[in-house]
Amino acid sequence: MALVPLQYTFGSIWHRRGATLLAVLSIAATVAVLAGMLCLQQGFLRVQTQGGRTDLAVFMRPGANSEGESAFDKVRAQIVLKETPELATDDNGAPLASAEMFLAVSLPKADGGKTNVPMRGVQPMTFAIHGDDLKIIEGRNFTPGTDEVIVGAATQGRIANCNVDDELEVNMTKFRVVGVFQARGSHNSEIWGDVDRMRQALKFEHYNRIIGVLKPGVTAKQVHDRLIVHPRAPAKVVDEKTYLESQTGMLSGMLGVMGGFLAFLMGIGAIFTGTNAMLSLVASRTHEIGILLATGFRPWAIFVSFLLEAALLGLGGGIVGCILVLPLNGMQTGTTNFETFTDIAFAFQFTPTVLVTALVTALLLGVIGGAFPAFRASRLTPTQALRRS
Amino acid sequence: MPWTLLFRNMIGHPVRSTLTVLSVAVALALLCVLDATARGYTAAVDLAAQNRLVVMSQVSLFVPLPLSYQSKIQQVEGVKTTTKFQWFGGEFGDRGGFFAQFGIDAESFESMYPEIGLVEGSFEEFRGERTGCVIGKGLADQFGWAIGDSVPLTTPLFPRGKSGEEAWTFVVRGIYKALRPNFDEQTMFFHFDYLRESLEAGAALGPPGVGTYAIEIDSGVRAETVMTAVDGLFENGPQRVRTTPEAEFNRQFLSMMGNIPLLLRSIGGAVLFAIFFAVLNTMLMAGRERTRDLGIMKALGFKNGYIGAMLVMESMLLILIGSVLGIALAHLLAGIMKPFVSGWAPGFAIDGAVLLNGLAMAAALGLISGLAPGLRAAKILPVRALREDA
Repeated sequence: MALVPLQYTFGSIWHRRGATLLAVLSIAATVAVLAGMLCLQQGFLRVQTQGGRTDLAVFMRPGANSEGESAFDKVRAQIVLKETPELATDDNGAPLASAEMFLAVSLPKADGGKTNVPMRGVQPMTFAIHGDDLKIIEGRNFTPGTDEVIVGAATQGRIANCNVDDELEVNMTKFRVVGVFQARGSHNSEIWGDVDRMRQALKFEHYNRIIGVLKPGVTAKQVHDRLIVHPRAPAKVVDEKTYLESQTGMLSGMLGVMGGFLAFLMGIGAIFTGTNAMLSLVASRTHEIGILLATGFRPWAIFVSFLLEAALLGLGGGIVGCILVLPLNGMQTGTTNFETFTDIAFAFQFTPTVLVTALVTALLLGVIGGAFPAFRASRLTPTQALRRS
Repeated sequence: MPWTLLFRNMIGHPVRSTLTVLSVAVALALLCVLDATARGYTAAVDLAAQNRLVVMSQVSLFVPLPLSYQSKIQQVEGVKTTTKFQWFGGEFGDRGGFFAQFGIDAESFESMYPEIGLVEGSFEEFRGERTGCVIGKGLADQFGWAIGDSVPLTTPLFPRGKSGEEAWTFVVRGIYKALRPNFDEQTMFFHFDYLRESLEAGAALGPPGVGTYAIEIDSGVRAETVMTAVDGLFENGPQRVRTTPEAEFNRQFLSMMGNIPLLLRSIGGAVLFAIFFAVLNTMLMAGRERTRDLGIMKALGFKNGYIGAMLVMESMLLILIGSVLGIALAHLLAGIMKPFVSGWAPGFAIDGAVLLNGLAMAAALGLISGLAPGLRAAKILPVRALREDA
């Protein structure tokens, strides 16, 4: 029941390093593409869902899937704001809730072209709701009731005209940037100002969504079940965490599918290359295999030994592939989140998920590519193998 | 060239040659579809009509323009005709049934968009039915829709009925093919008036107004003059507009998607490397194993250059066979990808330019990967080659 010693496997790889290197690189190229796409997906997911709160409820029009699609007229917004007993209150007894307007505004990018930047109109209570999650890191907060705005930290350098004292022209109103804020997740890519000033600038009759802090022990589901059938102001209610997660499906899925599709096709190519390399290794070692068989190693031990060698090659390819994409980690990029059609800034994230997926894929590619050559090696008979030189 | 010997060598290692050919085929197919996507992506810009302009809100594509704007735009000098374009955002069924739908003015649409060629049904029948629609051939194939079929769609933008989940129903009255690749065949056009009347009657909720207007200008009129005039009309609100040539509008729309061409190019680069390694690997192995044979040929008096050229030829031959298979595979892949890609890359097609590009790269790779063992074989001394046991 003896396995072929590991030293033999390592020794063989080293001996034929030229040929094995090509197989390793071909697996590495495949893994690099897969890992690169996954880094994008992970970065996007992290920014988008970072710290979504379960005690923060999001109210939308029934049927709406995102805040851009949702709309509440003034009357309905007031009903939700004032007549929802499940909402927590501040020291003065006012509900911790804010009606918001949301619009993707077309603005020039710093590096040319245009993109849709999310503009969010908020009510003063918003700052009590977000508390320490939101900090002004430059300048000051906007004064309610004025045409002042603050911009998220991630707009800096990405979007033109987003520096303190810049003016942003929205329809016929000029909004002045007075501060830069740092907040959780995707809020960082947004522009915030007074909701009613913004609505006026755009001649909007409606608000888009309402957010509110739930009293301890109350779940968004309970509020939803009550409000979805509300006679005067029906609303769909989800918690913020669920809401944010629901906004990632399309882009995240697209990146995943694209990565998977490319990795699958390139993987087929890599398996062929791997098989070729292993076949040539087996062929060049026919004599040695004969000796191993003659000294009493069983065919299955030969099979395992060659398969192990292939797995090591695969793993090597995986490691090289990961090293190739590692410099991308933390690199800032951005794209449009198709769910909201707005620009979102995020960084490539080389997470453990990426590492594990990449290495497992590489290992699989190696093993699949090595299976046939290993099988062929194990089928040799000692006499046959020794005779062939 | 000793063609018989070349073929014999290839057939002598059936497994290896097959695997190499297949990996070249897969890689080339991938390269072709990536290239086709990148080219198809810019087709909407490159092939946009010169005589069409788009009017949108200056602020955002998501701010609807008042319906009263249309007659004012129509009166601007140089404007030949106009149509509304309203994004509907509808979905068919629960999963995967998402495609683009636009509400348009049926009267002007046909003459403004000559690249939309009906292959089944007719514009007359479409115009004659309030709930009628015209769909792309791609959609008809994907969902199996034919003339006269009902298409139920739900949309969160325009919730219908008390529950908000009642479906809008459209009847297929025309199926179009794009006569130029700047239009995709995955879009549905329906009567804007059907939407407007439903909203006005309270049958559905949603923002009044219209997303964009398209303008066709008279021939010989400068687009800039019309653009300035239209923008000037609404300088004082209620919604300011920005009028751009169709190409510019499409370019901005695409630039929102981020740097897709760069992404595709990076992936294409990785694929190229993968083919290169595959072929180089095979050729190095072939060169090494045949050292003895080559030594004999040299001893028989074959020139170094000839022997080097032979290995290059062998590599090119593998690439050639792989390329033929790869092109077939690319067409197959393109067929599968088309419904997913053509929405944002309308010109997506494996055409002559794509194939030429792919073949040129494959040939260059074949040459380089054949040169490595070829040069070695050309340089090696016959005595050493003969001594080496393969």
